[in-house]
Amino acid sequence: MTRTLNLRAGVLSLALLTAILLVWQVAVSGTAKTEAMNPEYAALMGATATTGKSAMPGPLDVAETIGKHLKDPFYDRGPNDKGIGIQLAYSVGRVALGYGLAVLVAIPVGFLIGMSPLMSRALDPYIQILKPVSPLAWMPLALYTIKDSSLSAIFVIFICSVWPMLINTVFGVASTRKEWLNVARTLEVGPIRRAFTVILPAAAPTILTGMRISIGIAWLVIVAAEMLVGGTGIGYFVWNEWNNLSITNVITSILVIGLVGMVLDQVLARAQRLVTFPE
Amino acid sequence: MALFDNPFDAKRRFARGGCSCGAHASQAAHDADHAAPTGEAALERAVEGAVMRALFPHDAERRAFLRSVGAATALAAVSQFLPVKFAAEAFAQAGKPEKADLKVGFIPITCATPIIMAKPMGFYEKQGLNVEVVKTAGWAVIRDKTLNREYDAAHMLAPMPIAISLGLGSNPQAYTMPAVENVNGQAITLAMKHKDRRDPKDWKGFKLAVPFDYSMHNYLLRYYLAEAGIDPDTDVQIRAVPPPEMVANLRADNIDGFLAPDPVNQRAVYDGVGFIHILSKEIWDRHPCCAFAASESFIKETPNTYAALLRSIIQATAYASKAENRKEIAAAIAPANYLNQPLTVVEQVLTGTFADGLGQVRKVPDRVDFDAFPWQSFAVWILTQMKRWGQLKGDVDYAAVARQVYLATDAAKLMKQDGFSPPEATSKTFAVMGKTFDPSRPKEYLDSFKIKRAS
Amino acid sequence: MSKLLPFVRRAGRTAPDTDQAGTRRMSTSEKFISIEGIARRYPAPGGKTTTIFENLWLPMRRGEFVCMIGHSGCGKTTVLNILAGLEAPSEGAVIVDGQAIAGTSLDRAVIFQGHALLPWRSVLGNVAYAVSSRWRKAPKAEIEARARKAIATVGLAGSEHKRPSELSGGMKQRVGIARALSIEPKILLMDEPFSALDALTRGTLQDEVRRICVETGQTVFMITHDVDEAIYLADRIVLMTNGPEAKVAEIVENPLPKDRDRTQLHHAPGYYALRNHLIDFLVSRSRTMRDAMPADYDPRHPPVVRPSLSEADAEAIAASTEPAPRRA
Repeated sequence: MTRTLNLRAGVLSLALLTAILLVWQVAVSGTAKTEAMNPEYAALMGATATTGKSAMPGPLDVAETIGKHLKDPFYDRGPNDKGIGIQLAYSVGRVALGYGLAVLVAIPVGFLIGMSPLMSRALDPYIQILKPVSPLAWMPLALYTIKDSSLSAIFVIFICSVWPMLINTVFGVASTRKEWLNVARTLEVGPIRRAFTVILPAAAPTILTGMRISIGIAWLVIVAAEMLVGGTGIGYFVWNEWNNLSITNVITSILVIGLVGMVLDQVLARAQRLVTFPE
Repeated sequence: MALFDNPFDAKRRFARGGCSCGAHASQAAHDADHAAPTGEAALERAVEGAVMRALFPHDAERRAFLRSVGAATALAAVSQFLPVKFAAEAFAQAGKPEKADLKVGFIPITCATPIIMAKPMGFYEKQGLNVEVVKTAGWAVIRDKTLNREYDAAHMLAPMPIAISLGLGSNPQAYTMPAVENVNGQAITLAMKHKDRRDPKDWKGFKLAVPFDYSMHNYLLRYYLAEAGIDPDTDVQIRAVPPPEMVANLRADNIDGFLAPDPVNQRAVYDGVGFIHILSKEIWDRHPCCAFAASESFIKETPNTYAALLRSIIQATAYASKAENRKEIAAAIAPANYLNQPLTVVEQVLTGTFADGLGQVRKVPDRVDFDAFPWQSFAVWILTQMKRWGQLKGDVDYAAVARQVYLATDAAKLMKQDGFSPPEATSKTFAVMGKTFDPSRPKEYLDSFKIKRAS
Repeated sequence: MSKLLPFVRRAGRTAPDTDQAGTRRMSTSEKFISIEGIARRYPAPGGKTTTIFENLWLPMRRGEFVCMIGHSGCGKTTVLNILAGLEAPSEGAVIVDGQAIAGTSLDRAVIFQGHALLPWRSVLGNVAYAVSSRWRKAPKAEIEARARKAIATVGLAGSEHKRPSELSGGMKQRVGIARALSIEPKILLMDEPFSALDALTRGTLQDEVRRICVETGQTVFMITHDVDEAIYLADRIVLMTNGPEAKVAEIVENPLPKDRDRTQLHHAPGYYALRNHLIDFLVSRSRTMRDAMPADYDPRHPPVVRPSLSEADAEAIAASTEPAPRRA
């Protein structure tokens, strides 16, 4: 039953893809009417102006570009022209650093806040105010105080990933079942062992949910931050190709960004399944 | 930092190294027939200045010392125990740079040609520098990264070092502009639908874009509009839009046109979305546009590096100014690592043989030119426009700011050493849309405009 | 108040003498656990305080199975929590084995109403967690051996590696019992452990608990709503009046012999008298007594009663061939 359902879903997915690609190809393949030009002038003009070719690339153009990138993803022709693989590595590296720092801060701090109703109440207003701030709003402040653009990008990743994790950790820790805590108490379990053997496993699914939200945000933000700061990374790649008005490359990067984002999300989804316990 | 609180301009200028009277060159910038002077005296002075700075790193102390004993006595005293002559020779040969690995930021436009081409064409290498030229996303970012000292020096818009030094749009920081990169090279591009509305008087309600608030583009566009009786603040909308977004916005009909650096104008033509209305040289021939800028602290802390870097830029600029080199340069800077543009677009900009978007091929060899000399009168004009449009309020000592930011004497000195012939003066008069500007009378010039924000 | 009555098992054997000891006051040396004048108060709206109970005294012997019955809100669970050390009394103290308790202890194991198993651990993991808490430095193999033994005791051998979510309600509660037993506590505290189970499972588990407690001589304090459960399991049944300001109305001696058979229980002489007594209490006296305690009520020494024979019991005695033992 599930097999036939999967099969049908797969067929439908493929049909949709084909339809989208077809419509796309048809939509961009038409040529607009162009005025007659003298050859000397035409030689100086782009294809859009001379042949009326659509400024939007078709799926075949994009496929060709993807093929080109896949063939040589790690080339390095100077500081401003690197392969898409290297750019991705830069972005993933920045996300890993900023996100890793956020994990190191958010989870212990979340534990402390979650275990203390006093701290929880005292810090709540700050968290509530800082949480909804758009991560990129931190950018000028970061650039101004840190005085280093790649550190600033990492800081922005840090600051945007910290809140969902912090809030979820606080919530997960605070909502650990009283009876489980009582079990630990009647067994005379010390506070540290209790934190690791009862609260952490109990809160882990909630914490992982926060981590999953965070990685999504971090990946969204790194692209924007790199477009702003430039230098390296997939966001810079998009910006650089936009600078060249190369929509083909922009579409390629969109696909790549989506793919990597999905992989990151799936990794955490799997981790989440590992720590989730049925009751 | 110390702009208006410095009552010792003369001494400060001396301390900066050299004075204008040390030059003996002809007036014409590109006239190679005139023999280059030795300029040895000027160089010696420069080194003495550097020595003084080394002895008294703090401005205040140095000034106090000079004030109490007099500059001449001080110099004599210093010469007694320091081999100034030797040091001067060392500087003339460009002493070994204090640091060889540098980062220079640029915005991917043809104005940055000398800064960019100096890398692939080896001008930095020749001075013993290993420079990484880093493409940067926008002028605010390039400013911040240079203020952060992530970049040692950077490509900026000519008004930006003035704005930074005055604290407009950022915290004030002593900033200098040792060299101009290009003159001309901009254009007003309009959307194809306006091809029959060529008179700016008909442009009421237009949405126009410029790359940055503190840019020659902004001032030139405002000037151009105001001359046609259009108030740039009330009759049209002018917004700052990053160059890459300009063509996209023009295509999407979000803006009616822009005064932008190349290759944006030519790219709009190339993609068939706009036409070149006028070139910026038709507003003010040989106006400066972009600049090579560095912080004052970079110059003070690493004078040899600064000299080597400036020398590479000046040499690259001179190379770029020759029409026969332009195709080679276009090929060097068009790839993805630098401008990331189709070669033909860059070529059309640099050679001046270009499609205008209206079916004509125009041939304007000086559509863009490269001339490093940072005329201080440029700075004065920029200051008048800053005041005119209300960016700068209150009184300003035009000459002092120009002198501190636009390092004409440094450029002249190095140009002479390399056998170029810089102008003798640091100021000149010029005409903008037929109206003569006298840099010694900025206030009167400002008062003569009908449309302005300044009182 | 107390009646000294004969009672006979249906099988016709004489009840052992030990069962009749409870009617006199407990001597100090007999008191293994002594609840001494505890009270529990909560702040109520308007600056007042609500007193759940106060001046509550209750002694327990070593190896004794005590059940507490009362309506919801009489503070049964609070008493258990105070015994466990999970809550502190507002007044008074609990003495265990000659020492006032302060906080929780591995000597007092709790079997929670909702089993409270850690769902991310297997059956073995849950029990081993308790074992390793008791013997911190014990080698892994020993911990596992002890845990496996406890699991086998409750009849779950073979299910060691199952997760709590894979177990039925009864099996979960068995794990809870195994966990409590595994640490070899001096006292077992049970808070309505079987209330969430179906009747059949509950019966089996009651048998298990009774068997284990009899075999090990475990001291047990249990809270229940179920009169039959109390009759089957308890040596003494503590009746609480309704809360707030609940009191120990009386302590009922269970006249049934220690050696009981759940399925035949209702045939045992004295059963109906006891059951009727308890039900009467729950239906009416739990309320009326709170409103008007007898004049001679002494909270330090709540009355100890042994219900009189009902007609059915009398018949059973008449049918018996052996004379009923009597006591003066």
